[in-house]
Amino acid sequence: MYKLFFLLGILFPSLLIASTSEPKQNYMAIIMFVLFVGATLLITYWASKRTQTVSGFYTAGGNITGLQNGLAISGDFMSAASFLGISGLVYLSGFDGLIYSIGFLIGWPIILLLIAEPLRNLGKYSFADVVSFRLKQKPIRILAACGSLSTVTLYLIAQMVGAGKLIEILFGLPYYSAVTIVGALMISYVTFGGMLATTWVQIIKAVLLLFGATIIAFFVLHQFQFNIDQFFSAAVSSHDKGEAIMAPGGLISDPISAISLGLALMFGTAGLPHILMRFFTVPDAVEARKSVVYATGFIGYFYILTFIIGFGAIVLVSNNPEYLNDTGMLIGNNNMAAIHLSHAVGGDILLGFISAVAFATILAVVSGLTLAGASAISHDLYANVFLKGQSDEKKEMKISKIATISLGILAIFLGIIFEKQNVAFMVGLAFAIAATTNFPILFLSIYWKNLTTRGAVIGGSAGLILVILLVILGPVVWVDIFNNDKAIFHYKYPALFSMTVTFFGIWFFSLTDKSKASMAEKKLFKTQYFRSQTGIGIEKPSNH
Amino acid sequence: MQAKDYTKTYEQLIRTRLKILFPLIFITVSSYFSFIGVIAFNPKFFGALIVGTKISIGILLGFFLILLIFLITFTYVYLANKKIEPLIKQIQKNV
Repeated sequence: MYKLFFLLGILFPSLLIASTSEPKQNYMAIIMFVLFVGATLLITYWASKRTQTVSGFYTAGGNITGLQNGLAISGDFMSAASFLGISGLVYLSGFDGLIYSIGFLIGWPIILLLIAEPLRNLGKYSFADVVSFRLKQKPIRILAACGSLSTVTLYLIAQMVGAGKLIEILFGLPYYSAVTIVGALMISYVTFGGMLATTWVQIIKAVLLLFGATIIAFFVLHQFQFNIDQFFSAAVSSHDKGEAIMAPGGLISDPISAISLGLALMFGTAGLPHILMRFFTVPDAVEARKSVVYATGFIGYFYILTFIIGFGAIVLVSNNPEYLNDTGMLIGNNNMAAIHLSHAVGGDILLGFISAVAFATILAVVSGLTLAGASAISHDLYANVFLKGQSDEKKEMKISKIATISLGILAIFLGIIFEKQNVAFMVGLAFAIAATTNFPILFLSIYWKNLTTRGAVIGGSAGLILVILLVILGPVVWVDIFNNDKAIFHYKYPALFSMTVTFFGIWFFSLTDKSKASMAEKKLFKTQYFRSQTGIGIEKPSNH
Repeated sequence: MQAKDYTKTYEQLIRTRLKILFPLIFITVSSYFSFIGVIAFNPKFFGALIVGTKISIGILLGFFLILLIFLITFTYVYLANKKIEPLIKQIQKNV
């Protein structure tokens, strides 16, 4: 019962702050947001009674169905950044938005065809379980945790800063309170409700977001009697760049960047810890497969909607003085295109709904990220490295909760520290790290017999260090943030180089590894492969 | 006799899976990198408008690619449930 009080205790202060803020009130949004938070806190209360074990905490007991998991996965992917960011990019330059949409989508067949089933068959709570199935626990877990935590932290910073700014504009809340509210709510969802609450928050939000985006797109197309040609013609004549918005613009300028960005997007998805973690919430490989099809369908549909929304904003928002400031730019910034469009086609009610959904999206996504981070700390580092697998349920559970709360507080601090920074590159870097470190070690541990601990650790860490270095020395950080004249590393997207180093390092140092331990590791491959293919011996879902 | 049975089924499982996976992986990787390749080497081609409309080839193909990606996942799951799953069930029974 005290949990319920605690949860409601979080609700009311946030209400208070929300209702006492700023003149430019958006009551509809506040009401809908409060409804969402209230409902999700009730779910958290319900889930908290079913989240007493470590397996309950990290996998929701393994009883999520394929459809539910598909929705939850698509919820993880349909972040505020991709909803507002991609529709904003489409609004700004048309076609280029499609490059990102397709890039984010192409990772899904890769996950399905190569990763999903073996992952479910071999792992328990985190992808490190799979990699350390036959390799040495300690070094592998440390490496996997480094990869996971850096991916999660970067993603988290990007979401928190985006959240603060968005809420500042939508609800008129001060940046600091916005970031704090997001952090506090996220901590309570995850600490009390674990994966079960996080999954349901994600599912509800995914449904709301798909619904909201469908409504906007419907209203937009309705204005053109669903004649796509007329719709695009109107966009071309409304946009400064004219017909150029129908063609690739400046996003990709040379072949190396094209391949490099392509690789990061294609394989990065298959290395994102918060996505991989979702495959442990379903009972078996059959449901794991199903969840990817649902997820791909929802995400693909959603990206088509964001594309229509971006173009819709070109037609209906870009020439409407109500949404522009004195310099003729969108109020807020380009990422507000979808929000303004919702007002343009659906008035205050739709604006309120979409604003509330955008906030809900951020909450759900940061919760999933935090949970993945917490599992790297408590399951990989604490239970399997620090205690060498000798930990008991109670202790691991306690550490999980402490890790969650610490990560939540850290996220709030990072959100505040990075307020004035341009964080757009961080999601890109997170994908690059995931593609460079997490994906290769996971992929090779499943499919390559000769992989050894030495190879994985040397190759994986070399790639990890290189990818971070190349981003810092590249145009995005070295020039745009440190204000140097010229980048030391010429390319914006490092994945091509860093992935090559990882794969080469792993290959070379595995093959030259003649130690006794490595022989045993190679021998174990047959057993592992049998289990990964047939699912015999997998972690069963719990019954409560 | 039984042990031999399941070894055979297991080999069949691996073969069947590869037969399904290879074409699908090939389609995934080649379609995506062709798309990215055109953007890198010949962006003008994607900018060309379809005759009589204001819709460009790039946008049309982009939509088709989204559809294709979904169809790849759908096809795999359909084939996996039909051809792979019975073999797995059979092995599980015999182990």
